[in-house]
Amino acid sequence: MAEKDLLFEMREIEKVFAHVHALDHVNFNVRRGEVHALLGENGAGKSTLIKILTGVYPKDGGQIFMDGKEVEISSRESAAALGIACIFQELSLVPTLSVYQNVMLGKEIAKFGIVNAKQERKQIQDLIDHYGFPVGANDIVETLSVAQMQMVEILKALATDAKLIIMDEPTASLSSRESELLYKIIHQLRERDVSIIYISHRLEEVFNLSDRITILRDGKNAGLVEKEHIVPSEIIKMMIGKEVSEATASRELKTSDAEPVLTVKHLTRLGAYNDVSFEVKRGEVVVLTGLVGSGRTEIVRTVYGADPYDSGEILIEGKPYQPKISRSVATGFGLIPEDRRTQGFSPLLSVTGNVAVTNYDKLSKSGFVNKANENTLGHEAVRLVDLRPPNPDVQVGNLSGGNQQKAVLGKWLTRDLKIMLIDEPTVGIDIGAKDEIYEIIERLSADGVAVLMVSSDIAEVLRVAHRILVMRGGKITKEFNNGVATQEDILMASSGFAAEEGKEADA
Amino acid sequence: MRQETLRRFISFGLLVLLVIIFSVTTDSFLNWGNINTLLRECSVTGILAIGVTMAIITGGNDLSCGHLMGTVCMLFSFLYYYTGMSLLMILALTLLLALMGGLLNGFSVAVLQIPDFIATLSSQFIFAGLTYIFAIRNEYGSITQAQINNPTITALGGQIGKNGPYFVTIAFFVMAAIAQFFLKKTKRGTYIYAMGANRKSAEYSGVSFVKTKITAFVISGFCAFVAAMFTLGRLHTAEVATGQTLALQAISATVIGGAAFTGGRGDMVGTTIGVLFMQVLRNGMRKYGFTTQVVAVVSGIVIVLVLVFDAYYNEFMQKRIKRAAAAAREKKAVSANG
Repeated sequence: MAEKDLLFEMREIEKVFAHVHALDHVNFNVRRGEVHALLGENGAGKSTLIKILTGVYPKDGGQIFMDGKEVEISSRESAAALGIACIFQELSLVPTLSVYQNVMLGKEIAKFGIVNAKQERKQIQDLIDHYGFPVGANDIVETLSVAQMQMVEILKALATDAKLIIMDEPTASLSSRESELLYKIIHQLRERDVSIIYISHRLEEVFNLSDRITILRDGKNAGLVEKEHIVPSEIIKMMIGKEVSEATASRELKTSDAEPVLTVKHLTRLGAYNDVSFEVKRGEVVVLTGLVGSGRTEIVRTVYGADPYDSGEILIEGKPYQPKISRSVATGFGLIPEDRRTQGFSPLLSVTGNVAVTNYDKLSKSGFVNKANENTLGHEAVRLVDLRPPNPDVQVGNLSGGNQQKAVLGKWLTRDLKIMLIDEPTVGIDIGAKDEIYEIIERLSADGVAVLMVSSDIAEVLRVAHRILVMRGGKITKEFNNGVATQEDILMASSGFAAEEGKEADA
Repeated sequence: MRQETLRRFISFGLLVLLVIIFSVTTDSFLNWGNINTLLRECSVTGILAIGVTMAIITGGNDLSCGHLMGTVCMLFSFLYYYTGMSLLMILALTLLLALMGGLLNGFSVAVLQIPDFIATLSSQFIFAGLTYIFAIRNEYGSITQAQINNPTITALGGQIGKNGPYFVTIAFFVMAAIAQFFLKKTKRGTYIYAMGANRKSAEYSGVSFVKTKITAFVISGFCAFVAAMFTLGRLHTAEVATGQTLALQAISATVIGGAAFTGGRGDMVGTTIGVLFMQVLRNGMRKYGFTTQVVAVVSGIVIVLVLVFDAYYNEFMQKRIKRAAAAAREKKAVSANG
């Protein structure tokens, strides 16, 4: 391909965070009117690359070219001035304003400060009609569906004459019909010479949409594949980085005939998950995996009593259970929530203070707290999770990520647990601490606690699970006993790409 | 129907309901004399509520507007009593004070990044202190009052003809209409909504947080100036306590009118309904013979009820929107598969 076809090029990009090479001499380029997918597992460097290209992070090395000229992208504004627009995962629209007001925000057509609403509306409606988007210029954004909001985001990009649009997981919260519409729009944009950088965990759609795919792994280029040469299994190997990944040593549950502690039957919550059934036995670690937005977290939250459900049944040790947080805690539930910073601990309280919060039923007598017992409990928690520094008086907010999570675990380990619910326990935690957290989970399981965990990290899933339930679009689509599944199996199942069909789809 | 349109109907419906109840159950409510008085009573609060509405839509608040109005009244009386300045000069200086007051709030919120609540609470103290500094004192140093009998100012307390509406009422409605136009039809007005509903998005689109906040607070300062002039026109004097309870009344009226403390929601039509609602409630209850104290208690309860209703209503509407979307998707999925 001739050089002049290149719209955008990043050469030898480097980014270092606290001595870690997040990007190590990464090369990436986009041609005019092409859909270029960026693939890689979590932590491979995709979002760092995007943040450099949208001016959120400065680069530590390398060069960026636009239309063959070297450019500096130092801020969001300078990225926008170059014609780079980003459709964000978390939408950035003004909910109470109309579609045209959102699109024209900051660039109103106005005389003496009075907006020419008629002309703005017409201009935006023309743009909408041109692409056939199913929204009206006058619609108020908060009344739109997520898919429609995304279209407003795209309209915003188009209204600024963007030449390069970045779409980061655009279909994560769309239905299949809505996704189809988005694909159509992407094709239209491509025909009009707009280039698109496409990021998605859904491999099937990536393979169908992309003209080229750049694969990143551990902050390095792991491959660049043209459309004609897409072989799904090859690309997955590039992402994972092993020639053939082996199924890890089987983690068989010795007490496989143990009685179920948690049974979920036909549980449904509209818009989140649909007709979900599974059980978790004494001492068993069951992991719900799949893409973000597939309904995993919502199930865990429902079982704990934090979210409502529409129909179905939950049984604890065979008896019907009405989830309610206070009842769950009294029954012997523990919860490591998805976002430890906002839901897991109080940063200003000490470790002891945080541990005490879940244990006041034991610590207080007629409303008075026994400080000595509280301190004993704090020390016990520190010992149980091997906290570093081993000081129960330190504020949890001042601990490292891994030790913060251990403190959250400590809140529950001091109790007699029946069921531990764990949601993405190791996000943003360094490898050493990860292992310690896995060991704690294994110890819980050995003690007979039923563990229901949510995780997107496939290596982690294979490490701790006895059984793996893969979710997709609110349903459990596949179940693996650990020891059977490989990384590829799980990746394929969660992206809706059955392993055996992979090669045929390509043909 | 749009969430806000429905909410508007509800608050307007409540106002109409209240008017009907009082008209039917008392003899003295529904006559022009009473209505005209009622409108006059609420107009100063209404004018202040215009500024408060701006501040609340940006996601903030203005607790200081009543105190600022009091300070402006007092400065007027100070200049009038102690200096021989012309009316024009006094008006210019008091207007300057009012705008500077608004600018001070805007500066602390936008540039110093102090939360609106704290910033305007502190400026309350500043304005209250200034009021005492400007207060007229007798030869022993005690605070006394000066009569203001400038004909232009006293005329502001009057009305059209013998029985026509009061000038203050007309000013309130005209200013509310202009404010509504500003909010809905101008660039700066749109920015006020955008900033309150999603600050990040507004800033990414090139809308300045500093300018938007300062605009809202300077408008509030201007409203305090106008409110002060009409207050002087009616009372012919300034007291140190003038206006000190008005900010809270203006805020409650704004909230009853459907503006949300979280920002991005509300407008002048809603606020005007809120102002009228509170005044009709107060006026009608007095017709029943309740004492001022009881009326105050009931007003407080009504505000709480409206806020509770708002919270439930918003949650309900959000859920309804989500459920409708989810149901539509299920339907689509079924029809696509089947």
